[in-house]
Amino acid sequence: MASIAVSEVDNTIDTPGRRTPLVTGDQTYASVTHMVSRISEESQPLIWWLTFAVAFPSLLMFGCLIIYLFLTGVGVWGNMSPVFWGWPIVNFVFWVGIGHAGTLISAILYLFRQNWRTSINRAAEAMTIFAVICAGTFPGIHVGRVWFAYWLTPYPSLNLWMWPQFRSPLLWDVFAVGTYASVSLIFWYMGMIPDLATFRDRSKSRLRRMIYGILCLGWSGSSRHWMRYEKAYSILSALATPLVLSVHTVVSFDFAVSQLPGWHTTIFPPYFVAGAIFSGFGMVLTLLIPVRAIYNLKHLITPRHLDNMCKIILATGSMVGLAYVTEFFMAWYSQNKYEYDTFVFRAFGPYWWAYWIMFTCNVISPQVFWFKVFRRNTILMWIVTIFVNIGMWFERFVITVTSLARDFLPSSWGYFSPTWVDIGMLVGSFGLFTTLFLLFCKYLPVVAVSEVKGVMSQHAHAEHRHGHGGDH
Amino acid sequence: MSEHQPKQKKIRPPRSFGWMAEYEDENQLLDAARKVRDAGYSRIDAFTPFPVHGIDEALNIRRTRLPWFSLVAGMTGTTVALLLQWWTNAFDYPYIISGKPYASWPAFIPVTFELTVLFAAFMTVFAMLGLNGLPKFNNPVFTDPKFDRATDDRFFLWVDSRDQYFNAEKVRELLEATGAKAVEEVWEDDSPTEVPKSIYAGIAVLILITLIPGAIVLNMRNSRSPYPRWHIFFDMDFQPSRKAQQPTTIFADGRVQRPPVPGTVARGELGPNDPFLLGYDPEGVAMGKGAAVNVQMVSYQQENSASQEPIEEPPAPPPPQPDTSAADDPQASATADASSEQAGEAPSKPAGDQAPTTAEDEGDAGAGPAAEGEPNYAWLERFPLPVDAELIEVGRREFEQNCAACHGLAGYGDGLVSRRATELAQGYWLQPTSLHEQRIIDQPVGRIYYTITHGKGKMAPYADALTPRERWAVVAYVRVLQRSQNARPEDVPADADLASARGDDTTNR
Ligand code: HEC
Repeated sequence: MASIAVSEVDNTIDTPGRRTPLVTGDQTYASVTHMVSRISEESQPLIWWLTFAVAFPSLLMFGCLIIYLFLTGVGVWGNMSPVFWGWPIVNFVFWVGIGHAGTLISAILYLFRQNWRTSINRAAEAMTIFAVICAGTFPGIHVGRVWFAYWLTPYPSLNLWMWPQFRSPLLWDVFAVGTYASVSLIFWYMGMIPDLATFRDRSKSRLRRMIYGILCLGWSGSSRHWMRYEKAYSILSALATPLVLSVHTVVSFDFAVSQLPGWHTTIFPPYFVAGAIFSGFGMVLTLLIPVRAIYNLKHLITPRHLDNMCKIILATGSMVGLAYVTEFFMAWYSQNKYEYDTFVFRAFGPYWWAYWIMFTCNVISPQVFWFKVFRRNTILMWIVTIFVNIGMWFERFVITVTSLARDFLPSSWGYFSPTWVDIGMLVGSFGLFTTLFLLFCKYLPVVAVSEVKGVMSQHAHAEHRHGHGGDH
Repeated sequence: MSEHQPKQKKIRPPRSFGWMAEYEDENQLLDAARKVRDAGYSRIDAFTPFPVHGIDEALNIRRTRLPWFSLVAGMTGTTVALLLQWWTNAFDYPYIISGKPYASWPAFIPVTFELTVLFAAFMTVFAMLGLNGLPKFNNPVFTDPKFDRATDDRFFLWVDSRDQYFNAEKVRELLEATGAKAVEEVWEDDSPTEVPKSIYAGIAVLILITLIPGAIVLNMRNSRSPYPRWHIFFDMDFQPSRKAQQPTTIFADGRVQRPPVPGTVARGELGPNDPFLLGYDPEGVAMGKGAAVNVQMVSYQQENSASQEPIEEPPAPPPPQPDTSAADDPQASATADASSEQAGEAPSKPAGDQAPTTAEDEGDAGAGPAAEGEPNYAWLERFPLPVDAELIEVGRREFEQNCAACHGLAGYGDGLVSRRATELAQGYWLQPTSLHEQRIIDQPVGRIYYTITHGKGKMAPYADALTPRERWAVVAYVRVLQRSQNARPEDVPADADLASARGDDTTNR
């Protein structure tokens, strides 16, 4: 019986000469399977239903607001001259940013052989897909006459007699986000096939067996299949790695390729990508801390996992801080009057509050992760991640709105104020996100069981070999 | 196994697919797999809950061709993206945007990258499934309930009955010797392999139902109908604004169209019928071929109503409703003008006929194309204002600013613009008329004034650049040029210092 003989240890400490376990509490393959499958097999805890009771109505409200928007027009938003990119685009960039952690964890960390990713990648990928769905909604409904949104696709149209404009960053964005969404989805689904087979084989009812049987495409676990599957997984990781980095780069082009002071900045691509990873990990932690407590996954999502993610947040948060400072330095160093004024206006103008909320939440709050207490105490950690989420939303707000609010001519200066529809849609998008995530927990494998088992097996082998040799 | 056999016998002798051994741990499986392989079996496989390290070598699994599929798909993506962008933006629908070239390759990089990844990723997944033969729902191994643990914590080794050395007894002995927890024969799946007809029927019905909306749309798009079109989205088809002649509740008189505010002066109606403004005497119009010409004037005015000068006040019967839309309707007013102009002279021309078909009526009006459609007014022969040095000075200034670029400083039609156009051999360039042509010298001053006001052929009108007084000043200066360039000896005052005068002349120009 393959049991990993590990007692309750603090796996955030690396002991030289020993491989730190990634899964704690004397787990066997069967116990890991059970731990994850039971989440979907048993009825959901009360807190699930309570959250659902809030999230689902918000989703319905989102739907109603979208219908209202379609019937009435984009005037229901606060978008008004000179700020024509208001909250919808803020929300879009915010959600796309969040959608970066999942594929980053599953692809980049896979290529770097970071085995600890296996316990969290599934949930993070699911989060990615749901965030990208939220993100995709906003530019979709932002185009005005939504029923012509398909004009963005390059198809030979007999009505238009013209083609999309491939020299525009907005069209790059359509391709980047579209590719990212579909590749993430297929990556996520492919990763889930073996676990869906596990669900199928454990199911008691005929219907359940049939549904999961269809979903897993008749996966049998044949070694030949596994070999191709693993190959496909590494190819997909290699493809998805530059893809992740490209998505927010292209989103940042939406801004950087324009001529607007405050947008027209060459540091935008790396700055946006760092911010995206930062916000993505923030959201992963915000979701996983409760998930691991509610479903008792503490042995799979161990303190070491949380610790690692806190460190990533600390690193990327500081990068984002560096970007903020660089922007100011460049505004001063370039001696460009408009650039300089835009930045002074950002930090000390009428939007000073947004700027400093952003700065405090994104740059200062993650600094607490220098201290071990914060990387160990899940409640403190969770509070910090909430600040990270808030801060990143404000970052998008600051970039989008403050740059537009002051045009070159004082006659076209304005102040953006959202309408109730704006606020309702932001809340509604969280409703959509949360509802999808709750359904994911209820119906699909939350942890990549087969990958965790693979890592357990590798560790057992390593221990086996080194243990006999007596040294390293 | 024992409870499987009786069931199968009901139909026909069951077919054996092979033997399967169950292990509790991946190391046992690996050892067993090596043994079976070394015994010479090649149609063997293992079923495991996760990819077991080293199993490929133990089972002699060959490397997969999968990466080639990804590579080819990726390259296809690159090609498709580049061709698509080049063809749409540089070839089929070239369109200049932000000063970039049509085929701006750097701007095509992002989409090219995305499509490369998109194609390669999808191909990777589908090729993986295809090479694995998935989806495949009726796998004989699934008949064994024990096999459910192959996705949980058990490891299975499988020897296929189609192996060339296959011998049921020997295989069983071999597998048992590897320390398997259980060794079992796998029998044909006795559950019906055929999908029930009802499911096919259901799927067909579903597909048909989903096709209905599309079919309706297609039918509507390709057929004619006496009814107004169906509006799912209204776009801007229906607007709250009212159309002409509709009633409204907004204004007290219930009319949508508004009468002009009292005191409004329409464009071109400024000022009285003053020869000073017109360059001719309107009272003296009706002579010679005037009528035919005036028909043409009407059409001319219709096209250029912005710069039109009134020809004449419409005489007797005044429009029935001076404050309604009649004035807005160019057709109506033009017709009215035409008929009023024609009233005395040319009843043969129908009032509505505004086509410029009058050339044959005036074959003797003058030479060359310039004579065609030549207005025939009672041109002013004398300046309607006193001509003095100051006026001529104004004329010189305005001429040099407005006319000299084409007509040249001395009026020979050799201005800078003209010379450059000639140099570039621009075929469409019409040489500006030399103002020293006898025809121009003979023109009355009112005629030249009229040319400046209304333009001539290819020359643009100057009514909005020069005030009437400035136009007369330019005419005066044109006269000065004509006089000076075509001077006769008698014109030279007896006491003139010829040398210094010529020097003056050149320095001034
Ligand atoms: C853009 C070049 C250009 C400018 C500027 C210009 N003209 Fe002309 N002018 C022409 C051309 C070309 C013709 C010949 C028109 C034709 O016959 O189609 C012409 C013809 C004339 C004629 C002869 C009309 C006739 O009866 O055949 C006169 C007189 C004349 N211009 C005067 C002027 C005066 C005065 C000005 C300044 C107010 C002026 N032009 C400015 C290009 C110009």
